Amino acid sequence: MKNRRLHIGLLLFVLIGVLPFVSAFVYAVLYSVGLAGVVNDGFTLRFWAAVWNSGEFLRSFGYSAGIAGISVVVSVSAAMWLTLQFKRELQHRWLSFVIYLPLAIPGVVAAFFMVQLFAKSGLFSRFAYHLGWIAEAREFPDLINDPYALGIMLAFITIVTPFFVLLFLNVYQNERVAELTELAESLGANKKQVLWRVTLPILLRKTWTLIGLYFIFLLGSYEVPLILGQESPQMLSVLIIREIKQYDLSKISEGYVVAVIYTIFVSLAAVLLFYRKKSTTDAG
Amino acid sequence: MRVNWKPFVLTLVVLLTLFPFVYLVLLSLASQWRFPALLPGYFGLDNWRTIWASEVGLVSSFLLSTLISLSVATVSTLSGFLISRSVAYHPRKRLLTLFTYFPYLLAPVVLAACLSYFFLKLGLFGNVTGVIVAQFMITFPYSLIFFSSFWSERTKSFEELVFTLGGTRRQAFVKVLLPLARGMLLICFFQTFLISWFEYGLTSIIGVGKVQTLTIKVFLFIKEANFYYGALSCCLLIFPPVVLLYLNKKYVFNKLV
Amino acid sequence: MFLEVKNVVKSFQQEQVVKDLSFGLEAHKTLSILGKSGCGKTTMLKILGGLVKPDSGHILLNGNLIDEQSPSDRHIVYLYQEDLLFPHLTIFENIAFGLRLKKMPREEVNAKVENMVHSLELEGQETKMPHQLSGGQRQRVSFGRAIITNPSLLLLDEPFGSLDTGTRQRMQELFKKLAAEFRITSLFVTHDLKEAILMGDEIAYMRSGQLTVYPDKEGFIRDPATGVQDEIAFWGELLPGSSNPL
Repeated sequence: MKNRRLHIGLLLFVLIGVLPFVSAFVYAVLYSVGLAGVVNDGFTLRFWAAVWNSGEFLRSFGYSAGIAGISVVVSVSAAMWLTLQFKRELQHRWLSFVIYLPLAIPGVVAAFFMVQLFAKSGLFSRFAYHLGWIAEAREFPDLINDPYALGIMLAFITIVTPFFVLLFLNVYQNERVAELTELAESLGANKKQVLWRVTLPILLRKTWTLIGLYFIFLLGSYEVPLILGQESPQMLSVLIIREIKQYDLSKISEGYVVAVIYTIFVSLAAVLLFYRKKSTTDAG
Repeated sequence: MRVNWKPFVLTLVVLLTLFPFVYLVLLSLASQWRFPALLPGYFGLDNWRTIWASEVGLVSSFLLSTLISLSVATVSTLSGFLISRSVAYHPRKRLLTLFTYFPYLLAPVVLAACLSYFFLKLGLFGNVTGVIVAQFMITFPYSLIFFSSFWSERTKSFEELVFTLGGTRRQAFVKVLLPLARGMLLICFFQTFLISWFEYGLTSIIGVGKVQTLTIKVFLFIKEANFYYGALSCCLLIFPPVVLLYLNKKYVFNKLV
Repeated sequence: MFLEVKNVVKSFQQEQVVKDLSFGLEAHKTLSILGKSGCGKTTMLKILGGLVKPDSGHILLNGNLIDEQSPSDRHIVYLYQEDLLFPHLTIFENIAFGLRLKKMPREEVNAKVENMVHSLELEGQETKMPHQLSGGQRQRVSFGRAIITNPSLLLLDEPFGSLDTGTRQRMQELFKKLAAEFRITSLFVTHDLKEAILMGDEIAYMRSGQLTVYPDKEGFIRDPATGVQDEIAFWGELLPGSSNPL
């Protein structure tokens, strides 16, 4: 009786939790080697060779990883600084609600907002005009759809920083960092030593899995680079969808090649994060 | 004498946080705002009045988004709660949990692109059911991972205690497990609702433009460069979560770490 | 014999946790079982309660074979070391929990719970939530919640393990009082030598899955394995008997 229930649960788990992912992956693999798809007619590795030779995938991957990496590092640093500076003020009744507000802003809205502020006819461009810095809209520097992805990173940082502030505040309390700081001081540590030997190690040790997760989320994010990105290179998800969804049917298979590589990378990252997480929880 | 900079920085942080909300509301009230004017040509309720008109379709998008997100959140919270039990009490729990992390980390839009063939075959392409099913596939792993911490030794002991006190499986579930999990169920419902409410890429692929949720509308307005309606749909998109956040803020973060 | 356990064996993977367990217990008596942690005590209790299935052997309660009965049909309550009060229910509802499961009429529940609250010396606490109580009070509620269902057998797994010495002493006295008042049959597992002698009508010693039941307390005290002799020697050395001029 008891076992049957657990078995039904497991069956559903496989059906809903595992099967879609596996089917998606298998389909992408088949398509990428010419075994699925309307215009394909048999096994071939030429799509893989084409993707490899064009170098677009590697550029896109490096570009995505760079953007995601910089955004996460800046967000985590900013959030850490804000948390440590204002941990007491942010507990305040009114402020403790305000810091939750950014959670209500999705990527689409953040990207839209960036366009409103930083586009050539955006709010800051208008300020610049009235301050006499520029004479017409096109003199305003490229801050969105720009080669350095400033707009994308700014949107990411806007979304992610508040999340990390909440996270660090939470860990700060749960891990009793304030008490441990006092203890370290009574043992003769100065402010700098407390920061580098107590506060930062504790906060980062408890949160680095989530930091890793956010890197992967940003790496695969879609709507923000779709609105704020440029033609080339593109971030991974945008590139994959552009190739899969385009009218040139022969290009579709190349899109699936990139999708397969990306999926494998994410799965490896999952294994890595997951097993490291286990070892840290064991130790703690 | 040293100036205390902290109040200034804190004020700035608060203003920056509130700025998007205020700016989007103001923009939704504006029109005829050409470069380089600092103030819009028109400022009033015109845009808000026109959204009731059927050709803009924002009201129906709002209702559609609500329907989709409520369904997705309800189904994924309940199924995640029940099914995570089988996973958590399984001897190969670690391996099974690892499997949940794969779809959880993969970009939803890529998953959707690779699954669109199957959705087409199953007749789930370009309709609301398809979008709900697709969104459920990404919220379900979240919900599974979320509840895995609930099924601890302690929870098991509570269940056994009910049995030895003469309770049935059903009684243990209704009288003890559900009340114990109440807070977590609420947060999970909220989070999965948000994931669905904010979802764009996967919805655009499985819905092929026929299922016009709010996020799809925002995109359309950006493409048309209709920023006033864009801002208005952004408002519709962010204020329901703000209200929900206010209602259960005290629960939302306690369980995150 | 009210409770009869015959040749019960239980292994996890390769390790035999309970080895050929056989013993009996008369009704309305308490058998205290002394054993170090990891000696198989908890597994033994869970087998009796029906929460763990033994590999072989039989259990008889009041002459009836209960091997195949589910935990909820056995009328055997297993109490954990932790009090495990339901955090979402008041003290009153925690105690009433088992009666509500049986859908007992409201008036009867009220009367029984009030009576129990009185026996537990918890008057005035009924409307509080578990987290508002002290450790000793919570443990009392946990007892009351079990005893009020009138179980055939009560299994106590180091119930006072997490209490301080003073509270522990008071709880021991209270339990003896309750056991007499409600004519309880129980197995009382502890790793505390004194508590084992104090609480049991009979005493047993469990070591690596094997249980020795002593015919009387002298037998228990005389057996060097139980550690009583060491204890006596320790105090004896501190105060060397007649030669001490005190």
